[in-house]
Amino acid sequence: MSKKRPRPRVKKSNKRHPDRQLVSAMMLFYFSAFMLISLNGEIALEGMALSVVVPAFIYIATMWLPRFFPADKLLLAIANFLCALGVLILYSTDQGAGTTRGMQQAVYYGVGIGVMLFCILLVRYIRRWKFLINLMMVGAAILMVLPLAIGTEQGGATNWINVGGTSLQPSEVVKLALLLILSYYMSRRRFTPWFVFAVFCLGMLMLQKDLGTALIYYATTLFMFYASTGNLPLTGLGIVGGAGAAVLGYQMFAHVKKRVAIWRNPWLYYETSGYQIAQMLMAIASGGLFGVGLGLGAPRVIPVYFTDCIFAVICEQFGIIFGMLVLVMYVILILRGTSIASAARHSFHALLAMGATAMLGIQTFIIIGGVLKLIPLTGVTMPFVSYGGTSLVSCMGLIGLLQGVASVNQDDLTYDYDISHSQQEESMLPEAEHE
Amino acid sequence: MKQQRLRFRILAFVVIGLLGVAAVYGAYSVTMYGSRWFSSAKNTRYRSAKRAVIQGDIVDRNGIVLASTDSEGKRTYQSNLASRRAVVHLLGDADGNVANGVDSFQANYLLGFETGLSERVSALIRGETRRGDNVMITADSKLCAEIVSTFENGEKTKGLNGAAVVMNYKTGEVLALVSLPVFDPLKVDESVKTDNNHPFWNRATQSTLPPGSTFKIITAVSSMQNMTDALTHVYECTGATQVMDHIIQDYGKEQHGKLTLQKAFRVSCNNTFAQIALTVGDDKLRKTAESFGFNQNFLFRDVVVENSNYPTTDRNNVEIAWSGAGQSKVVATPLHMCMVAAAIANDGVMMEPRLLGRVESPTKVIRQKFTQKVYTTACTPEIAATMQTYMKDVVANGTGSSAQVSGLTIAGKTGSAEASVDGKETTHAWFVGYIADESYPYAVSVMVEGGGSGGGVAAPVAKKIFQYLKENAKK
Repeated sequence: MSKKRPRPRVKKSNKRHPDRQLVSAMMLFYFSAFMLISLNGEIALEGMALSVVVPAFIYIATMWLPRFFPADKLLLAIANFLCALGVLILYSTDQGAGTTRGMQQAVYYGVGIGVMLFCILLVRYIRRWKFLINLMMVGAAILMVLPLAIGTEQGGATNWINVGGTSLQPSEVVKLALLLILSYYMSRRRFTPWFVFAVFCLGMLMLQKDLGTALIYYATTLFMFYASTGNLPLTGLGIVGGAGAAVLGYQMFAHVKKRVAIWRNPWLYYETSGYQIAQMLMAIASGGLFGVGLGLGAPRVIPVYFTDCIFAVICEQFGIIFGMLVLVMYVILILRGTSIASAARHSFHALLAMGATAMLGIQTFIIIGGVLKLIPLTGVTMPFVSYGGTSLVSCMGLIGLLQGVASVNQDDLTYDYDISHSQQEESMLPEAEHE
Repeated sequence: MKQQRLRFRILAFVVIGLLGVAAVYGAYSVTMYGSRWFSSAKNTRYRSAKRAVIQGDIVDRNGIVLASTDSEGKRTYQSNLASRRAVVHLLGDADGNVANGVDSFQANYLLGFETGLSERVSALIRGETRRGDNVMITADSKLCAEIVSTFENGEKTKGLNGAAVVMNYKTGEVLALVSLPVFDPLKVDESVKTDNNHPFWNRATQSTLPPGSTFKIITAVSSMQNMTDALTHVYECTGATQVMDHIIQDYGKEQHGKLTLQKAFRVSCNNTFAQIALTVGDDKLRKTAESFGFNQNFLFRDVVVENSNYPTTDRNNVEIAWSGAGQSKVVATPLHMCMVAAAIANDGVMMEPRLLGRVESPTKVIRQKFTQKVYTTACTPEIAATMQTYMKDVVANGTGSSAQVSGLTIAGKTGSAEASVDGKETTHAWFVGYIADESYPYAVSVMVEGGGSGGGVAAPVAKKIFQYLKENAKK
């Protein structure tokens, strides 16, 4: 192996890459969508800017970044499509409301791409995690306590803190740390550290009354425990325990009881607490199969249309069929994530990828199930789409972790290829020279 | 590692399965309830659409325009006051005081939400205001007006509240759906809004009341289903049956002596039906009631109806005995009782009540045609045939004789249902029945709140309806 030669890609074909066509279609979609909104009525320069910036972000994140390291382009494309969808919906609902959530979300999207890159590099190049993991545990623990100490209340839960004028939801950031910590200790079969950390996080979330996020943390931990040990009895016990805690919470807290009652029949409580769900259902029904059209309809009558209920807005404007296709995108994301996890050579990487995938899937189910009135609505964000910097950035971080694992997998494959070919070259030198 | 991969697959399967359940549930609930959510009076969206779209017309089965829109976008109704008032609950009013009228429930057609893209674009290019679709309903507005005038001018019904429903028992078409008192949709003032009789309330579809003896149709069917000697068994009526510490009596405290099911049905003997209910048992009687639509979630395509109820919790014998006569928390709407009579008339097959006749675009493209649909099979044709004989007997020789119309065979059942309204004991008069004639396949249900005797008060109203149908209905 003295002479340096370019590493061949494992799969090489002369056909046009389908991913390029996919990304071009996405860019065109968003270009025309933003142009449509900005040309409707008074010409809005912001919208024009977004019609260039958002496709540019998509190009950078899905076509340009992967030149530097191998990546799963389909996964990237879907995550970026969803992020851009969020910017689009927020920008369209900004029209006539005097808010600037669309522009803010575009900025967060840019930051999210940066964080994704950071996470990819982290997973790709860090070999010694011990110190980092310890640091993360301490940092995460502090972050989880902060809202209780200096937090502000939003929507019944005390899960926000203000840092230098911007508000931040620590539990969203700690999600990434939780995944890294869980997969680090689980892959080394050390029970106590991760268990203590997970219980601590759950306890803090309960104190913050952030039940939706607590559910995500709990389910993710349980899923990863099952994935790493395959211990069915204990996992079953965990499920039963979680269900028991839910029943206990229902019996103990009046506001939980009320939530369940609203969920069972929102129309009875229309004047007060059932208003939100009733409005969401009317929005979805008004959209019909194909939607009322981008920028049309009356999405702003739904309370918190920009975070929890954004799926109802998507269904109203683009129709229930499009809504179902968005769900399919999350399904593809889960499938890709699972295959990345399955291809990983190291237990740590495998668990990390699976954990990130499961977390995204669970969060999607909790919010979309809530919007469609399958389960009681809890205030969690719709991954990538909902308004909110911390949420978007942490979801892109999850994608970064997944892509990091995917790139390591690809490197391993290439390494195998090199070894097998160098052996071949040694055994068949003349032909190799002939090449 | 291999095992771990299997576990990964299981986890992915679980998460995707959850998302799949959400998707299926979402699709299901939007299909089933979507139109109800959309047309909810709380939905501000279709009201804002009224500014952009000219609302379509509503036409009755004979082509009479019931509601239209003038050049300024204001909803206009018929000029004839009597006729305008008679269909007010069917159509609903412009302010949405009446729930689920055609005007709001079919808003997706009337406001052009079903209009295709090409039509929308061509209207845009021509610079016209888009027009919604025109809706033809199955109702006969003249019949509705006739029923209102019968109610308002009848000696025994004058000033009372009530409801009447007429439907075609072969197709399910609703010909009349009237709730008393009516009001003028063009004059909704304070006196209407504060009226203690609640004129906005659609009693035909929203009032769940004890059906009283009209429920004996179902008790009789249940006895035929569950007792081998149902038709021949001889019951003893001493005028009072003691169940626990309670005494069951007839409306007129009559004493009938020995009698069979047919005679008990003809004279509407509470004692016999209490005995039947106790013999058959609560569970089996409930099962029969459920096959006739009680305890079902009514999700009809174009009529929103309150669900009927047969209690499901553990009950004592007094309550069970009274259930046989349609009392003790057994409740149903006038529309549902009409469907019960219609099911017997149609050999046990209950049709879905339909109000939407045809939907046409302004350019005469047919958007939707009338389709009939079987709602459920309530009982076997044999049992239905026996019930038909019994119900004819009721009108020919029994309590329903004042519904007789010369030249027609009428079948029916009366009911005098005891209820308490605002703490006061009152008796609702009921009559459900149908014309036993292939040329006039119509079932009727009449309910008069606080009317007293079903045979004396409700049956004469039904007679007027039957007469109108005989003279006016197209063959």
